[in-house]
Amino acid sequence: MRTVPVLLASVVAFAAIEGAVFHTGLYPWILTPDSSTGDLETILRDELERSKDGPQVLGIGDSRMLLMPRVSNQHASETGYTFGNIATAGASPRAWYYMLRDIDPTARLYRAIVLGVESYDDADQGADYNDNQSDLSYVVARLRLTDLWEFSRSYDDPDLQWKAARGILFKGLVYKRDFEDLLLHPRYRFQIAKLAHRDSFAWHYGYTGPPDTLADFHVDWEAKTVTAPPNADPGLVKRLKFRLVAVLPPETGDYSRYMKYWLGKVYERYRESPTRLIFLRLPRGGFVRPDQPRYNPHSSIRELAAQPNVTLIGEHFFDSLEKPELFRDELHLNGPGMVPFSLMITQEVSRILGPPR
Amino acid sequence: MLFNTPQFFLFLAVTIGLFYVSPKPLRRWILLIASYFFYMSWNWRFAPLLLSLTAIDYGAAIWMERVVSPGRRKLFLVLSLAANLGFLGFFKYYNFLAGMVAEALGRDAHAFALAIVLPLGISFHTFQSISYVVDVYRGEQKAIRNPVDYALFIAFFPQLVAGPIVRAREFFADYYQWAPPVSEERLRGVLWILLGLAKKMVLADQFAQIADSYFQNLAAHPGSPAAWSGVGAFAMQIFFDFSGYTDMAIGMALLLGFHFPTNFRRPYLAFSITDFWHRWHISLSRWLRDYLYIPLGGNRHGSLMTYRNLMLTMLLGGLWHGASWNFVIWGGYHGALLGLERVFGRKHFQNPPHGLLYPFRALITFALVCVGWVFFRAATLHDSVYVIQQMFSWHGEARLIPVWLTCMLALSLVISLFEEKTEWIERLAHGPAWAYVAAVVTLLFSVELIGVTEKAVPFVYFQF
Repeated sequence: MRTVPVLLASVVAFAAIEGAVFHTGLYPWILTPDSSTGDLETILRDELERSKDGPQVLGIGDSRMLLMPRVSNQHASETGYTFGNIATAGASPRAWYYMLRDIDPTARLYRAIVLGVESYDDADQGADYNDNQSDLSYVVARLRLTDLWEFSRSYDDPDLQWKAARGILFKGLVYKRDFEDLLLHPRYRFQIAKLAHRDSFAWHYGYTGPPDTLADFHVDWEAKTVTAPPNADPGLVKRLKFRLVAVLPPETGDYSRYMKYWLGKVYERYRESPTRLIFLRLPRGGFVRPDQPRYNPHSSIRELAAQPNVTLIGEHFFDSLEKPELFRDELHLNGPGMVPFSLMITQEVSRILGPPR
Repeated sequence: MLFNTPQFFLFLAVTIGLFYVSPKPLRRWILLIASYFFYMSWNWRFAPLLLSLTAIDYGAAIWMERVVSPGRRKLFLVLSLAANLGFLGFFKYYNFLAGMVAEALGRDAHAFALAIVLPLGISFHTFQSISYVVDVYRGEQKAIRNPVDYALFIAFFPQLVAGPIVRAREFFADYYQWAPPVSEERLRGVLWILLGLAKKMVLADQFAQIADSYFQNLAAHPGSPAAWSGVGAFAMQIFFDFSGYTDMAIGMALLLGFHFPTNFRRPYLAFSITDFWHRWHISLSRWLRDYLYIPLGGNRHGSLMTYRNLMLTMLLGGLWHGASWNFVIWGGYHGALLGLERVFGRKHFQNPPHGLLYPFRALITFALVCVGWVFFRAATLHDSVYVIQQMFSWHGEARLIPVWLTCMLALSLVISLFEEKTEWIERLAHGPAWAYVAAVVTLLFSVELIGVTEKAVPFVYFQF
């Protein structure tokens, strides 16, 4: 045997199998739907398969973007718009870009993309968004070889840059945990994957949200204390304290730079398209801390608002929902809160867009 | 720069590339510079130490050959051994001895301790140096005249930090009659590297997580099944880790035209402790036999002396692994088992049993080896005793090894059994191309999908 042809054949065979399994939809088909990649892929698949008759509006964001298409679409005959939502728990603006790129390849499918954000001021979040390793897990199935340079360079940490680069080249490295889980429970995996393919649309669009509320919680802003009912989940109390009375992280400008880069890329995709980008500031919580971030006229979103096809929904539009009885935890609206939230989005977006042409 | 990192593979590719494109006279320099670069990438401060030992042994060997008087020859040998063992003793055993002295004097165990960093691979290159000077002293090896050649023999990067311990005559036989590896050797080299990498990342590092979780929190895992799982996991970790490293070293050497001796021959298929030591870390066993056991008298002076020599050899072999009583006990335990096998008749333990007796004996041997590993892995003697008590308590339910890893182990056992019969891994390189391609692809996928790739885990034997 000659060395070079045999080694070359080995490399080619490996690359071909790796490419066929992990760089196509083959492996994503059997991802566990409750992993970060599986969740995102299920949501995107549902949106791709959703019939899109008439003018469409798409919501995107993280787990707080609780737009309920079922509620919005009950008013489709009045508004003329059908709503979809690909908001995914844990998905960040970096992930949104790759999600939108695949869900709307021509950038003309939707009349509007509604993006739910934490604030319009790019206030630092106390977490390093640039070096959020889980973004790779979220969008690995969406990444292409041509993303190798930009995606991996978007991390600051050289170690993460390397992990991202090799993850794009060899996606099996990112699917490793999922694959080990598949080895552990192969039968269950195929069953749950099959079930997800059949029912995920109903899970997603039929989601009504939990009834839990924060109505029995009290916050003393002076004393910086959170009083919880006796049976409250200690984890929730801890998270509430962190969100409401902990010292705010210092302003470094890192988050603003991150948002400008990734929202800028989203904007660039839609710059020449008829799609309008509509930003909304998510309801801040059942309790709103008095020391809100200072007004930042140069934030990513305020700068984007100057562009012709970008609109910001009034910053205080959802203030009426910021009540403890409409929130289930420190961040998320509960079932009764999601309904008015969805209706308000539907009406306001329809008003901004005007009647469909 | 660990063998299981991308940086190392880049280094290896550059070194091999430069080696083959350079004119022949330059090649020894390329390998020497690469080897020192590799060594200094860990800690450049130890390069002078390596260089000094190399210079001392190089000089001692030449002087031994030059002088005629046996007394003077012995003097040079003693000087060389003193230098080698002196450095090894200081770096590896000073704190151990200082602790004992302090305790004997009623002082704090750390009273005389020094902040000593153990130079990488010192146990290995010291043994390699000693074998060279002793061989020259015995007249079994000619002194190497070219200092670059000798320095390369000591520092050759594939085996510098964890062996195999190569004899000078083996190394220089390849070196002075160097021929480029033929196609089949190149393919074998690549296969050994990938096999070693897979053993390390797919099996050793996975088992390491189980062994670490057990040994780092013994109280959390009481009972016999947990103890056997934890100890069994360590047995697998240390085997796949060390043999994986050796496979990689053998593969790299092959790609550069050198043939390293076999260091592992499926040791967990051994049917006796005697057989185990013919299969485990063979280059160390061979060294201990030739430079310790036989000089002590071997089996030439009656049974009692033979047992004494065997025990001394194994105790020192244990101590070679690390400065702790646990390693001494581990060595003594194996020495005692080897002695017992001699008592019951060597032929029973040297010739493989037939039929169903083989798997039974192999299982018993594996269990005995596992008991020994407890001393090797546990942090203290107290922990070792506790683990052994748990192993034989015969109660408890917790099992630590997940099903899929058990399946991987079963697969490895099947592969090992086939390998034991047919040595098919060696044959792959001259079999049909599709079989070779399939093996490479399987190994690559196993590393990609099952290997521990989040962080490079150091090799166990690098600490020795």
